[in-house]
Amino acid sequence: MTDRERLKALLIDTFLLDPEEFSFDLRRAQVDTWDSLGVVSLAVGVEQTFGYHLTPEEAMSLDGVPALVAILQREGISCGG
Amino acid sequence: MGSLLFDDEVASDLDRLEAAWQAAETFAFVPRKGPVAPSWIEQALASLPGSLQQGHFALLTSGSTGAPKLVVGARSRAEQLARLLHEVQHSEPVTETVVLLPLTYCYALVNQWLWARLFGRALRMTTGLGDPAAVRRTLDGARDAMLCLVGAQAQLLARHFGQEAFGGVIRVHFAGGPFPQRELPTIHRMFPRAQVYNNYGCAEAMPRLALRRAEDGASPADLGAPLPGIELQCDQTGRLLFRSPFAAVGFVDEQGFHALPPGALVPTGDLGRPGPAGRWLLDGRDGEVFKRYGEKVAVSAVVGKVLEHWRGEASYVPTPDALGEPGYVLVLAPVPSEDEARQVLRTLRAHFPRPHWPLRLEGLPALPRLDNGKVDRVGLAAIGERSVHWRQR
Repeated sequence: MTDRERLKALLIDTFLLDPEEFSFDLRRAQVDTWDSLGVVSLAVGVEQTFGYHLTPEEAMSLDGVPALVAILQREGISCGG
Repeated sequence: MGSLLFDDEVASDLDRLEAAWQAAETFAFVPRKGPVAPSWIEQALASLPGSLQQGHFALLTSGSTGAPKLVVGARSRAEQLARLLHEVQHSEPVTETVVLLPLTYCYALVNQWLWARLFGRALRMTTGLGDPAAVRRTLDGARDAMLCLVGAQAQLLARHFGQEAFGGVIRVHFAGGPFPQRELPTIHRMFPRAQVYNNYGCAEAMPRLALRRAEDGASPADLGAPLPGIELQCDQTGRLLFRSPFAAVGFVDEQGFHALPPGALVPTGDLGRPGPAGRWLLDGRDGEVFKRYGEKVAVSAVVGKVLEHWRGEASYVPTPDALGEPGYVLVLAPVPSEDEARQVLRTLRAHFPRPHWPLRLEGLPALPRLDNGKVDRVGLAAIGERSVHWRQR
């Protein structure tokens, strides 16, 4: 499984998304389950999956999947399309 | 000291139970393969006060915690309750009752064996749904019969006999767990002449507290109204309590004998609240509700909602998360397909905020059952090979 596929699986599991609902352009405002506890779950999931610890500021500032992809790519994790 | 009567002795000779009921000495009627050794029950009987050494009977229950408890009832009270049940359940036209549960279960003992004894009706014993062919023969031959079932048996009946009809059954009672509202159309199809009732109670009530006709409510949580003479209350924490003239007089657990004085308010072990028109609503088992990240989580409400969208059965295993917060694992049976698991997750997302979601969604071919048909929660927790379909991050 590629890092991109692992990220997709992580986001689907974390926010209980339907696979058809998911896209790498998805915005936080489009996901009802991306709430404050969802932010924490996502941060835990990112650390478990990629070994990168999102700072609280990073986690809170994420406004969508592209922002997360950008952070992970900065850390050398190739999730881009 | 009282005497011990085992289920297998009664299965081979029903007169043993009659003799015990007529004898002065208090007796315990228990399964041979029970959760405790006979010596524990003998010691429990010996610990009863002198006033309870005669004219009483005792049954073993494990309750929701799995801890053994010997509940002691007065035979005279049980007979009064059986007479009351005859009236409120409109049982006069019933000529026989088919036993599909162990008679050591208070529900079967009072609603069936004792009722049949008091009103001169026939008692048709079976070995339960483990032998569906024998049950079919008994139901085929039934004449104006009454069944007393637990909710979990509804699905088993539907699986074995869902396409058949048994016109000889005119009363079907459910107790011992959530009322199987979802299976009601199938139950009516299988028993086209039957009035169907939701009976509510607990072992300490010996055993009934409330009743409703199935058609009088749309929710499995609707218990109906308390039986005449019985009072239901809930305390500030939502625990459902009862006061009943038919209740147990005491019980013995690992700590020893506990009296239940006349007029005492006794916990049912459930959570509940008053509903409309004198009815009561069940919110789940006491202990099934916990706080997770500040949210009050009622697992039974989650399971109930999942069952509206899942064709099989569901139960749960209490499990703390990695941070020590209370949580649970939702277990489905049979093992769901990927699409089915996804549908369950959609249901969770649509109806519950994150703290209510399970830590994991797992599957099993079948849920383990106790003899009384209820899910064996201790056994379920001990099964290590459950398939994992989703987990919280």
